[in-house]
Amino acid sequence: MNLYRQSIAMFGIVLPALGCVLFIALGFTLKSQMLDSLSNKQTLFESFKRNRTKALEIETKITLHRPQISHWAVLLAEESSSAVNTHLRAIAETLPPKEFQKTAFERNNTKAGIGSATAQPSSQLRIVFRGTFRTMQRAFLELETCMPQLQLQEFRIDPNPNPQIPSTLLNFQVNYTAWEN
Amino acid sequence: MLLHSTRATYPAWYQAALDLDFQLHIRVDGLRISSFFYERRKEAWAIGPTIIEADLRDTPLMDACAAEVLKQVRTFKASSLGVILHIADEFTTAELKPALDNPAALPDLRETAVRKPANILGDSSIPPEQNSWRVLPYPAQGSGVIGTTITITRKYAPFLTAFRQAGESSNFPIITHALSAPLVAIMGLAQSAQFEPGKSSVAILQYPWFSVLAFFNEHADLLLIRTLQHRHLRQAPNLRQALTTTYASLELIEPDLFILPLSLDLDPSLNCYLSNAFPLSRVAMVTYSTPEVIPTWCPEPVIAATSPSKDELAPSLTFSTFRSEKWALQDFLPSDRALIEVYPSRAEMLLLWGLRLARMSLYTLTVLMLAWVVFGIVDIFCSDAWAFDPNQANVIKGRLGNLTNQYQKNEHWDNLLADRSKAWTSMELLSRLFPEHCGVLVKNFVHTVRPESAPGQTKIGFIKEWRITGLARDEAVDRLNTLNTQDGIAALFGEIARVTANPAFNPTVRTRSLAINVRTQENSGFKPLPVEETFDTDESTYPFNFDLTITQRFEATDPLSLNVSKSP
Repeated sequence: MNLYRQSIAMFGIVLPALGCVLFIALGFTLKSQMLDSLSNKQTLFESFKRNRTKALEIETKITLHRPQISHWAVLLAEESSSAVNTHLRAIAETLPPKEFQKTAFERNNTKAGIGSATAQPSSQLRIVFRGTFRTMQRAFLELETCMPQLQLQEFRIDPNPNPQIPSTLLNFQVNYTAWEN
Repeated sequence: MLLHSTRATYPAWYQAALDLDFQLHIRVDGLRISSFFYERRKEAWAIGPTIIEADLRDTPLMDACAAEVLKQVRTFKASSLGVILHIADEFTTAELKPALDNPAALPDLRETAVRKPANILGDSSIPPEQNSWRVLPYPAQGSGVIGTTITITRKYAPFLTAFRQAGESSNFPIITHALSAPLVAIMGLAQSAQFEPGKSSVAILQYPWFSVLAFFNEHADLLLIRTLQHRHLRQAPNLRQALTTTYASLELIEPDLFILPLSLDLDPSLNCYLSNAFPLSRVAMVTYSTPEVIPTWCPEPVIAATSPSKDELAPSLTFSTFRSEKWALQDFLPSDRALIEVYPSRAEMLLLWGLRLARMSLYTLTVLMLAWVVFGIVDIFCSDAWAFDPNQANVIKGRLGNLTNQYQKNEHWDNLLADRSKAWTSMELLSRLFPEHCGVLVKNFVHTVRPESAPGQTKIGFIKEWRITGLARDEAVDRLNTLNTQDGIAALFGEIARVTANPAFNPTVRTRSLAINVRTQENSGFKPLPVEETFDTDESTYPFNFDLTITQRFEATDPLSLNVSKSP
């Protein structure tokens, strides 16, 4: 008796259970692989979203400052000494000639002062003027506004050295560090 | 098997016929065939179908008979049928081998009689394929032998097989059982015969073709069974002689005689005959109490189907063991063991049924888990991340790198081009330090900017210094003293920052410091003159010299501190 117990157990539960376990294992393996893939994609996706948000933020900032940056690019594209001379000529045309006179201009490509403390290329400009106080202030205002790359390194104002000949003209000597691109 | 058979749901397939709720009892005594239905739960008897002699022997008629019986049984709404055949047309005994005299071996002998009867029979010439043997013990002490075997031919086996096959084909449990009617009748003596304690007795069971003599000792235990064939007479011709010789061999003294007429048309004079032959013996006719539908000469179905109540105590060990150990209820024509083994056992069917439930649960669990997996996969497919092209991450990363580079470049230039030091603002500082006609004559103005040394830093601070020398009149001394305070110079720087919008002059930023130092001395060339004779450029009209130094220090953490690196 009970001749079929082994067969019943084999075909009744063991094989179906093995089949089910196989199916479930396949399903879980597939899902596990997909979850791994999803996890990788999720990481990349989160990174993508984060980077996209950052990019948008930076792009917004860049866009806001684009006119300014473009202007700077134009300024820095030109060689500083020639640009200074160009601007000074333009400034001189708007000012009384007797109150604004450029008496000396020197350019030195070696770094000095502020320029020597940074790795950014720079040049040194030494300019000597003679002029009245307010006219020179206007001239400096014009020049330094037009050329923000000029960093004042040294500034001297001396009165006319001959007290016998009183004059409203003063001697101005400026040393600039001009940032170069 | 579960789908095509009711074996798993109907336990009747694996029960004995006498245990089923609905039974058909057929009694064959050689002259007539009686049949009765018995509803066990209701303890109700009813007349059974009409069965003729041909139904028992002719195979086509057997099948028709079985089909008809099954049809009738279905009208009773029975779920199973037990067919009990009471064989009363033959009864012979065969002696056990003399060597088998151990009463403790009776259970083994009982099994051997079914499987290998030749091993236990004294006469091995009887063909086992045509007969069936069952061991019957003699419980009485001193009987000489432990028992005998009852022999029944297999002539009714096809009839019972037809019933079983009808049940198989119609998926209706039909269980058969072939009983020896005399054995059942002997078992019923316990409730019908009046055994006198201390007195031996003999039961004479009259059947149409033979008589069975059952000898009991004074304790009503069976000593011996003998059969006497009638040889076409109405009673055994050698009854008296058989009784006498058996008395002598068993040493019985005037035993009581119980006569059991178990058929119609029997010789009614047997009682008188025995009374005359054995005048010192008590001769009694024994009749069974039967239900109304069952004749008194046909008690075997009632005896086999019903159990005596507890009040009806068995008078001896014989009757109690015959019923409890079913010695008198042995099946003489069981199914072939090979055929039985074709079908799973009850335990296997239960196992099949249980495993089917387990399998359904397993499948359900599997489907649920697979559904969970599928839903999970669908969920994965529906997620934004799954549809995302990983190359886009590199694209946006590259774009972010470019933008960051551009932004850092912009920031770098924004830092370098900041309004850190301008000539025009320094001139504005000078003009507000000493306005016109304030009593001060400025002789010299020097402004320098120098970086602070900070190796390894990404940003460096710087120091701006203004140095002014000149002459001062009395009215300017107070101004110089006012300027020569932290509040005084800070207020002035604040004013410059406001009017020039140059953040470098803002004194409130914590990462920068502001210091002033004014030294005043008497002018050695001073010549006191009336006020109306003085003019501003005459140095001799100024009683004091002064030297003013303003130092503004910007730390490396100041917003205007200078980037050390080159443009990216």
